Amino acid sequence: MITAQAIFIGFFGVAAVWFGIVVFRTFSMVRSAIALLFSQTALGAMFLTMQAEFLGVLQIMMMATEMSIMAFFMVMFMMDPGGMGKMEMTHQKHFSMIAGVVAFVGAVAIAVFIDWGPIANTVADSAEQTKALGLELLGRSMLIFETAAVTILTAMIAAIAVAIKPIPREEAKDKA
Amino acid sequence: MTVILMLLLLAVGVYLVAVLEAWITNGRFRLAAPVYSALSLLGRESIIPRKSDLLFFEVGPVLLLIAALLAAAVIPLSPDLIITDLATGALFLNAALAYILVALIMAGWGPNGAYAMIGGWRFLGQLVAYAMLIVMPITAVAMRAESLVTTDIVVSQAGLWNIIYQPLGFILFFFAAMGLAFLPPFDLPVAEGELAGGVESEYSGVRLAIFRLGRMVLIITLAAATVTFYLGGWQGPILPPWLWSAIKIMFVTAAMLLVGRFVPRIRETHLLAWCWKFGIPLALLNIFAVGILLVMIP
Repeated sequence: MITAQAIFIGFFGVAAVWFGIVVFRTFSMVRSAIALLFSQTALGAMFLTMQAEFLGVLQIMMMATEMSIMAFFMVMFMMDPGGMGKMEMTHQKHFSMIAGVVAFVGAVAIAVFIDWGPIANTVADSAEQTKALGLELLGRSMLIFETAAVTILTAMIAAIAVAIKPIPREEAKDKA
Repeated sequence: MTVILMLLLLAVGVYLVAVLEAWITNGRFRLAAPVYSALSLLGRESIIPRKSDLLFFEVGPVLLLIAALLAAAVIPLSPDLIITDLATGALFLNAALAYILVALIMAGWGPNGAYAMIGGWRFLGQLVAYAMLIVMPITAVAMRAESLVTTDIVVSQAGLWNIIYQPLGFILFFFAAMGLAFLPPFDLPVAEGELAGGVESEYSGVRLAIFRLGRMVLIITLAAATVTFYLGGWQGPILPPWLWSAIKIMFVTAAMLLVGRFVPRIRETHLLAWCWKFGIPLALLNIFAVGILLVMIP
């Protein structure tokens, strides 16, 4: 039986995929970034439909700022950020296609063949979920999240270092 | 029913904010001023700039309004007067407010105008400054309430309002909220005089009216959030709870608008430097202090 929940999950799923396609269909870097944002927002909405309130709201919140900042970096680094010149910005097309198909088949295979265990009939209420997540984050998952956080921080610092115009050694000596 | 009532109250609040803003900026108290400005905006032609990104141009102002309205949905005016009492209320508020940035970037990028675009990207820089000062004080508030539910947060202040329990958090949140609503002195994205209206500059007619309406809703939502998190929400003697909320919200709004009258516009670099060098360490200190208080006085 198709429930309202299933319809909504399907709707947001299709929306997520559609916006994902839009990312590569547009020439404008800002449009591309915002399309990716709405793809991720649709994923957050899927979490909400599946009654994972905290995860859904968190996903929707985090992506807004992350994708906006990404849009800014894309405008900084790309030669034709507005897509007005219809500049070709894709590369390694053949390799990308193969990689995309392999990743897609892999993801579908995992989704179909893995044993997901019994379907949960009842879901803990949202406040309980928040509490359980908090305990999880401060428990065995702490190392994973801390590692991810430090990795992202490193990437951020590296990105800024790349963005700064290097000062020639002679000038730096003069300044000092 | 509650939704309609809340929207009506919000509309009244927005009207009062518009009157208040006009009073504070040009010194004239005119109750009918918002009606005249609305009529004048709606009567004008809404020009679409040449070679604009039409999708962004149209979506920007509407998204601003929707994001502000969604944020208002989790703010309680009394124990029953709330659109949706989510288990993740305080987080949801942040999530909705994050889309203010998206709206401004879209509205800035869309019209294909230099001033608008600079305004939009300026707001992104502003976000990097204020965002942590919104989230971290709310963390300390949620720590005390042991809940993200906004009504629980109000109830947790029954004995002592958070403005006294964690004054540092209040000060940081108050100014960060002003930054989020791009109120003077943080009105960098719409700076008149240097950016000719910035993000607003290419908008006219009905689109500008929607943009300004969205901003008014945003201002009152942030004032309401300040009241919920720090000023005991609906709590107060004698008067009915919703009236207490309304009075406090108007008071906070007036305070936010008044600050801008006496302070010159801040520079983006200074804003970032102050927020990161002083704001974030202070916000961390606030979380630490509240943690100690909670352990010492259960």
